[in-house]
Amino acid sequence: MRGALVIFKKEMKAFLSSPNFLLVCGLMVTILSWVFPNALKMFEIQIRSAMFSGGFNNQSMNIHYGLFLRHLSYLNLILIFVVPALTMRLFSEEKKLKTFDLLLTSPITSYEIVLGKMMAALGAVLFVMLLSAIYPVSMAFFADFNWGTLLVAYFGIFLVASVYTAMDLFCSSLTESGIVAYVMAVIMNVFIWFVGMGVDIVDSSTARAIFEHISLSQHLSSLVEGTVRTTGIVYFLSLVFLFGFLNERVVESARWR
Amino acid sequence: MVEVIGLTKLYGENRAIHDVSFKVNRGEVVGFLGPNGAGKSTTMRIITGAMAPTEGIARVDGIDVFENPVAVKRKIGYLPETPPVYMDMRVRDYLLYVAELKGVPKADLKKNVSYALERTQLTQVEKRLIGNLSKGFRQRVGIAQALVSNPEVLILDEPTVGLDPRQVAEIRSLIQELRGQHTIILSTHILSEVEATCQRVIIIHKGKIVAEDSLENLTKLKSGTNKAIVRVREVERAQKVLEEFAPGVKVRKGRLSDEFEISFAGQTSGHVMDDLAQFIIKNNLGIVELRLAHANLEEVFLSLTYGSKSSDQLSNSVNHVEEVTL
Repeated sequence: MRGALVIFKKEMKAFLSSPNFLLVCGLMVTILSWVFPNALKMFEIQIRSAMFSGGFNNQSMNIHYGLFLRHLSYLNLILIFVVPALTMRLFSEEKKLKTFDLLLTSPITSYEIVLGKMMAALGAVLFVMLLSAIYPVSMAFFADFNWGTLLVAYFGIFLVASVYTAMDLFCSSLTESGIVAYVMAVIMNVFIWFVGMGVDIVDSSTARAIFEHISLSQHLSSLVEGTVRTTGIVYFLSLVFLFGFLNERVVESARWR
Repeated sequence: MVEVIGLTKLYGENRAIHDVSFKVNRGEVVGFLGPNGAGKSTTMRIITGAMAPTEGIARVDGIDVFENPVAVKRKIGYLPETPPVYMDMRVRDYLLYVAELKGVPKADLKKNVSYALERTQLTQVEKRLIGNLSKGFRQRVGIAQALVSNPEVLILDEPTVGLDPRQVAEIRSLIQELRGQHTIILSTHILSEVEATCQRVIIIHKGKIVAEDSLENLTKLKSGTNKAIVRVREVERAQKVLEEFAPGVKVRKGRLSDEFEISFAGQTSGHVMDDLAQFIIKNNLGIVELRLAHANLEEVFLSLTYGSKSSDQLSNSVNHVEEVTL
């Protein structure tokens, strides 16, 4: 565990002092600063037209559904491309610059190496997500809303981002090239959303149940609406563990090849 | 301290090392010598636990590297072929990070880092980014990195590569200073380095150990062929005249135009140089230089690795190259 903390500390420092990381954050904020006011304006138009027609019973009139979830779906879209950018260098660069030997010959286990890198990547992702939280939180000046649901929804997106992180870190460990790692990681992130498509095309009820269980959107949908279900949490955590484990195997295999 | 038994490593079909066994005692400085691709780095990587052998055992201080890698790695400081430095870190921060990785207790961190910085003379660049340093400085950061945890065993893979002659001399004297406190294994293909720093030499070629002995014993290997080097003014006549010096004498052109190499057959008496000098003067060859040529490590190395046939020829060219670089 000591080794993991040392690596975490070092990588976290590297993130925060790296111009590339700040650039990524800056670009993300630029996109969100354009998109969020637009979404806010659209929400306002919807409410105004509902006021004139006199019907407020529609679910989309709620600020959580009408604004925050839209914001979160943009955030998710951005994370699909940003998380690989954060993780791509963590292993591939070590291999390329031969600094991996330092880790392999230090008195730490491969679990600690993966854990340290994963914690650092998650820290960076959390930083990015906190930046994006400025927008919904700033709404507190204008409206009263349920903080609980917003928090749970953010927690849901963070779990999805953790799955991205684990997968993308795994991609990074497979190659010496940061760019290959990035492309592989983006493909994995996009692909995992399409796995659930199987629900619509299979006939057997067992197969459908299986697809429902491995569908990312299925598990996320309850979380973003503010309901915490243990099945969802178990699902996300097992994906993180699965890719963390595969990652550890790849690191360990460097000793055996 | 370090014990290796029957190490074999296959890279697919390629056999990098084959049945390598040796032992290094505590406090010893051992040179690991061999041409490029002989298996030096592979053996070193196996001892450090960065790589597993296909067969065989490696032990450090009696602990098996593969059964208890973490305990072994605590005792080892390793400088790989390419110094494992992060370009975007500052020298001091980097050494602090390595020290922490190696499990140096918190109280000793600063002391160890300062020690490593002083030893490798990096104190004046400690605040600079490693990426902005020259190759020689990076190599020294690599050495500092191996020293920073104050390990019992130092494994240095070509420690003086990329350094200028003054730095090479500094690193060599550093290694000599460390002798006794640390057990050191260093690999190189530069022979003078081994002669300058090591007590014992292991020569490896094509993945096999071809010789393992102390420096003196190795150079004695070829002592049967005593040679003298002569430089004279009367170059045209010299070859013929010199051949008449004694029965069985062979004369060969040296690498300089006026130089001749005289090989005496069998054991020579102590007076051979006296006799030779008188002989040259008597024959009016005009003596410029006369010296006894001992078989040196270079010749031993070349004959062991490239075969005896080409060794004379090669040793000439190697001598020549070295003279130019120095």
